[in-house]
Amino acid sequence: MYPLIVKQFIRSKTVVLAVVLVLIMGVISLLIGKQFLTNQETAIVEVTQHQQEHIERNVRVIDEFGLLLYYLRFALVDAPDPLAALSIGQRDMNPSIQSVTIRNLEGQQYDTDLNNPTNLQSGNLDLGFVIIYLFPLLIIAFTYDLFSQEEETGTWQLVAVQSTSLRRYLWYKLSVRALLLYGVLLTLFAIAIPLLSLPINKALGAFIVLSLLYVAFWFALSFWMVSLQRSSNFNAVALLSLWVVLAILLPAFTNNFLANKYPVPEALSTMVKQRDGYHEKWDMNKEMTMNKFYAHYPQYRKYTLSGDDFDWLWYYAMQQMGDDESQQQSEAMRKKIRQRERASRGLALALPTLHTQLQFNDLARTSLSNHLTFLDQTRAFHERIRLYFYPKIFENVSVKEENWQQFRPEYLLEKPTVNWPTIVLPLLITIVVISIVSVVNLRKAKL
Amino acid sequence: MQRSTVLLIARQFWVNTFKSRAIYPMIAIVALMLGYAAYSGWKSYTTHNHIRKHYQQVARQSWENNPDKHPHRMAHFGSFAFRFKHPLSMFDFGLESFTGNAVFLEAHKQNTVNFSEASFSTGLLRFGEISLAMLLQVILPLIIFFLGFASVAAERENGTLKIILTQGAGWKELLLGKSLGLLALSLLFFLPVALVALLLLSFTNGGLLTADVWLRYGCMIVSYLLFFQVISIIAVLVSAFSTSSKDALIKLLTLWLFFVIVLPRTTQALGNYFYPSPSKIAFEAAIEEALIKKGDSHNRDDPHFMALKDSLLLTYQVDSVEQLPFNYSGFVMREGERMSAHIYDRHLDELLQTYRQQNRFTRLTAFINPYVAVKSISMALSGTDFESYAAFERQAEAYRYQMAQQMNELQMEFISNTQSGAGDQPQTISQDHWKAFPDFQHHFVTTRSALRNETLSIMALLTWSIASVGLVFYLSKKAKAI
Repeated sequence: MYPLIVKQFIRSKTVVLAVVLVLIMGVISLLIGKQFLTNQETAIVEVTQHQQEHIERNVRVIDEFGLLLYYLRFALVDAPDPLAALSIGQRDMNPSIQSVTIRNLEGQQYDTDLNNPTNLQSGNLDLGFVIIYLFPLLIIAFTYDLFSQEEETGTWQLVAVQSTSLRRYLWYKLSVRALLLYGVLLTLFAIAIPLLSLPINKALGAFIVLSLLYVAFWFALSFWMVSLQRSSNFNAVALLSLWVVLAILLPAFTNNFLANKYPVPEALSTMVKQRDGYHEKWDMNKEMTMNKFYAHYPQYRKYTLSGDDFDWLWYYAMQQMGDDESQQQSEAMRKKIRQRERASRGLALALPTLHTQLQFNDLARTSLSNHLTFLDQTRAFHERIRLYFYPKIFENVSVKEENWQQFRPEYLLEKPTVNWPTIVLPLLITIVVISIVSVVNLRKAKL
Repeated sequence: MQRSTVLLIARQFWVNTFKSRAIYPMIAIVALMLGYAAYSGWKSYTTHNHIRKHYQQVARQSWENNPDKHPHRMAHFGSFAFRFKHPLSMFDFGLESFTGNAVFLEAHKQNTVNFSEASFSTGLLRFGEISLAMLLQVILPLIIFFLGFASVAAERENGTLKIILTQGAGWKELLLGKSLGLLALSLLFFLPVALVALLLLSFTNGGLLTADVWLRYGCMIVSYLLFFQVISIIAVLVSAFSTSSKDALIKLLTLWLFFVIVLPRTTQALGNYFYPSPSKIAFEAAIEEALIKKGDSHNRDDPHFMALKDSLLLTYQVDSVEQLPFNYSGFVMREGERMSAHIYDRHLDELLQTYRQQNRFTRLTAFINPYVAVKSISMALSGTDFESYAAFERQAEAYRYQMAQQMNELQMEFISNTQSGAGDQPQTISQDHWKAFPDFQHHFVTTRSALRNETLSIMALLTWSIASVGLVFYLSKKAKAI
């Protein structure tokens, strides 16, 4: 009987069309992912080349260390993982490259990339989107009339007299659909691996497992609807409504809730404070600025002001005050963002769509928390470069003596951590619960 | 055409829909969403405008409180531009969450507009936001399809279709009547939303309903009415030309998914794919390169500035720049700022043009997708579209330029040409000049230019509206009862 069920299913033109369409969308999404990676790689090459030229040019014409370091920019790169092509996440918005001078960091590190806001709003058509949005629709289209169609066309009676177990018959029908869709999903991964040169590692494994589970969740949900044995029209309306609720309304609701609950005025206060913290010092007693600077870096007490109108030591001490005096605001801002992050993770546990999206982003290192780590690392990087150059500026050593070749962009070495229980359990539990309810429903129906 | 028959069929459709009871949960859900969307829009508007206004005042105060100093120090002290939300953004969030909100403005340097809502978001935002406009653009069409899929197909399944047609009603009357009934049902959802939007506009901050907001509101109402008219007719036509109500339902749901979810995202992605925009590094490097080619005001030996100096000395018949009747370095900086700002403007123009090309892909689909048409019009009227943002970016840059040049001119006028020696009092000018320079004002795109920017979408929506009615007349000759 199984081959007949298969034949009956794939003979439908709609089924073939739907599968082809999703395959095409899947391939488009992979190409878009590839373009994203290429763009990022190009940007990294550009910044490497640009940094070298930029340093060479400035070193050639400027012979004063303090003035030179006013201009020089040093890049820290958070190179995207190839998996980022599958789930671009927040990477389109948050920069993957920070190019900073040793001046006050708070005035530089929040600079955004150049973006077309319309693209950001429309969202990336990556594989994550295809899996999270389109696969459920396909599942709904293939299963909503699994049982009702037979009843409505009158074939159910026929099946009833011919089959030994009606439940098994439904199960067969469902499995044919599941196998086909899993086939499509795995085909897309099979194309993705060579196309994007994805390394075979734990993160990729987790990504695939998560996708399989997410698809299983929608099969379970659809099967539950079928198990209620309502009409085809009812099932279609109810399942699509469920999809709208899970993929659009509840996430959007959560988003509005969090955005309103945690506004981030701290961002603006940091911005104003860092300006005032630095610029006010021009009109203040130099000694006061220097004392604050020495208090922060006691090791530089040995450098003192020359008594001239202008001193690079004083200048960089003033710059430092921009960071030091906006530190409180800046920390409050980071705290607020982390609060948002925690709250949305908590809420995501109950929403398979959100959970899958956030986990995809984590595995691909394209999440907000990944960006927060990058900002922290930028802070450390900036401090390191700053402390390396401070003594040279204060002693005004010769620019030509420095080995400028060593200042190439540095890379962040982060690996995604694969936390299996967090990834798998929320979905798995949901699937098991829904399946048990469906089986009970079917037993009650005495099929 | 018998008007009374059309109205009779419309009324009948309305009554039957209420009999089936399926509409009550829909009303409940929409009412709930309406409440939340209204609260959310109001909250976001008042909170953010309050925050921005506050910091604009804080920043302004600290600008004005600067003591007497050299004007070029003030040019570096700089100012900020904060983007304000348009009152109608309570209704349609548009791109609001994806555009930066504040930018630091200083001499010589164009900074990025930072701190968009999206940059603080965990990725949740990508699923969308609940706003009154989203309710009308995304959810209401779905509800119209849910209510309308069976409008004709069910009559055919029940066998009542033949009865209606034999009792004197023609296909024309039937299709028009059903469409009218469905449109009336959609108004049942639309009017409360429109009313709530009006209430928000009347009571927030003691009333925001200026003549201009009324005009925008009116255009908005008309656009949405046309949109629902189109959607209602599509639902009825698909229902009339489907073999069964199930068939009609599946077709309509597929159509909705394509219109609202799949097509816009795909075309936007394709636009982005075919018109790649430069990375920030490439953009900045191109400007830097153009600038070096043109002349570097910070470099004393730069040929452009050497030539300028020579011509100045000749014009004023003096031997050295110290003898000029104005401050020479102020003059050099003014020239430098003029050149760099000009080059930046040209590159920014190109960049915005690339973005427009990316967007054009999706915007053109308004002719095959009425959702895109109404969405574009709605965003433009709410001051939350791409052009509104581009206008803010331009205004901020214009203000930055004005500030830098004002400081340079103050320097030319009031700062002496002779260098002060060590130990001399630094050269300063009075702090009154800071107060005299006005603060940044964000001006919204005018209604007239918003509508002009959306000519294409308006034409598309009108075409849809006329074509859908034409289609009813045309297809009523082809429809079959069985």
